[in-house]
Amino acid sequence: MRMSWLPQGHLEAFLNLLEPYGTVHGPTVLENGVTALAPITSPDDLELKYRHTLIPPKKYLLPFRDPILTLNDGCYRPAPPVAPNLVLFGLHRCDLQAISYLDRVFLGDDPDPNYAGRRERLTLVGLSCEPDDFCYCDPAQPAAVDLFLDQAENGFLVTPHSPRGEKIMSEGTGLFLSSDHLPSLLVPLAPPPTPQDPELRFSDNPLWEEYARICLSCGACSACCPTCYCFDVREYPSLDHGGNRLREWDNCLFKKHGEVAGGDFRRSRLDRLRYRFLHKYCGFSPLQGVTSCVGCGRCAKACPVGIDLRNVLEVTYRGAEPATTRDQATGTGEVS
Amino acid sequence: MTPHGATVHVPAPAVLMERRELTGDTSLIRIAPDPSATGWLSSYIPGQFIQLSVPGAGEIPVSLADMPRQNGIIELCIRRVGHVTDRLKALVPGNRLGVRGPFGVGFPVQRMKGSPVLLLAGGLGIAPLRSLLYYLVRNREEYGEITLLYGAKEIRSMLFRDELAELALRRKLRLYLTVDFAPQGPTGDVECAVGLLPDLLKGFRFEANRTYAAVCGPPAVYRCLASELEEAGVAPERILLSLERRMCCGIGRCCHCAVGQLLCCTDGPVFPLSVLRQIPEAL
Repeated sequence: MRMSWLPQGHLEAFLNLLEPYGTVHGPTVLENGVTALAPITSPDDLELKYRHTLIPPKKYLLPFRDPILTLNDGCYRPAPPVAPNLVLFGLHRCDLQAISYLDRVFLGDDPDPNYAGRRERLTLVGLSCEPDDFCYCDPAQPAAVDLFLDQAENGFLVTPHSPRGEKIMSEGTGLFLSSDHLPSLLVPLAPPPTPQDPELRFSDNPLWEEYARICLSCGACSACCPTCYCFDVREYPSLDHGGNRLREWDNCLFKKHGEVAGGDFRRSRLDRLRYRFLHKYCGFSPLQGVTSCVGCGRCAKACPVGIDLRNVLEVTYRGAEPATTRDQATGTGEVS
Repeated sequence: MTPHGATVHVPAPAVLMERRELTGDTSLIRIAPDPSATGWLSSYIPGQFIQLSVPGAGEIPVSLADMPRQNGIIELCIRRVGHVTDRLKALVPGNRLGVRGPFGVGFPVQRMKGSPVLLLAGGLGIAPLRSLLYYLVRNREEYGEITLLYGAKEIRSMLFRDELAELALRRKLRLYLTVDFAPQGPTGDVECAVGLLPDLLKGFRFEANRTYAAVCGPPAVYRCLASELEEAGVAPERILLSLERRMCCGIGRCCHCAVGQLLCCTDGPVFPLSVLRQIPEAL
């Protein structure tokens, strides 16, 4: 794979190089102090040493509220496509792996038209990161990316990972210098093991009860998860016999998630926590056995009561002593 | 032929043709889908479901109450229980609807050939089983004895009583009915026991080792019925249960309907007991 050296001073020119591929969005700190992916106009807007954004890049592929059908005189038609060309600059490996997972869900059999439309117009530029206390990652997992930038002192080592990535680099003659030296790459933390045994999956570990007792069902863990994609479908009629059918983010921690007319299949918080755990770490058909946790650590950081579902894995599979939620809540210091 | 491309995502137009009130809150409707949809609807296997759209209200998963007709017309048995079925209740013949599907895995009618079939229906569970029942009756010579055990809350809420009695009279099936409660006096012109469905099954004699059992009813009865059937000697692989879950998309994406690691919409809604036994929260 061809690697090239992008000196720090060429970053602005590199961003300009990306512009023909769409509006460039990257990590930035908003006025309210939240780190988010937002439009970038100059390298000064970029927060290159960011930990992670509060809301993951799924917001671009699966908007919170997304029209899927329009209704006119009782007839449904596909909602008109609204996907702009977009470049996401500076995504960490975990978020790129998350997009790779979402691709498997939404571009498999019967590709989802809205997702496919947006994905096709999306260019992904990755950026290396430094792990924090909450995250781990497994570099062996597939990641969706066109170009990857490894941060080093005074510049970036750039690697193309797709024909589009190759093309961008070929257009930037003069920007990149050939490089023989590799920047020192960080050693990622070990990911927790993947659960396989159905008996253990539903283990009677007391940690489950403890988590169920303190969980607030706020759904923050799922909302900030880069691979949580559950959606609800709602119809909003208009007064002229028309209307829209929308897809909206749903959350398996909410009670309504398992409800049907006249019944509820996940009554207790324990049921709902297990449902999330099962989907995240064991996968639903046809992605059984595929862990969709990419180790970004957002859920553990966002949880107001310090629940970290990965502890269930550690305790169940590695026989580790369960970390009490109090330890976690106080030990982590900041909870934003 | 299964739905593909746009037909998976966009409801095909359909027209409400006829409505017959069965009880105070339940009706049987006939709808005519657009000819573009009748091809893939004709592939319907009993136990599968479609997504029925009521314009302006939304979409619900529902099983067909009979096999699709040659002319493409389909029959659905609908109980008014939510805002979509509320709106449906207000529609009149000629009004527009939408259909997507069929989706999911139905009853293994090919594998069941040559075997006796025992159908167990509780309450509204008779609606999806009715499509299986008519499929079996129309292909009568390919199957062993067909028996229907049907339990309802009370005589008034028992659906399709007359047509079931007629099928029994024509010796197309053995029919046993039971109601949870019976007021004083006769239960009408059809013989009917008083008691719960699992009780009716308890004293029932049948060729258990060769029989396929098809079960559909309120979630509460599954555990009892499954145990009774197993105790009687029916192999768990031959005990087929049609599960209810919240199925929004029908194609395994919205992730509301998981049963363990399986999805009710794509791996079910019909599952053999041998599979469900492995899943702690399934029944």
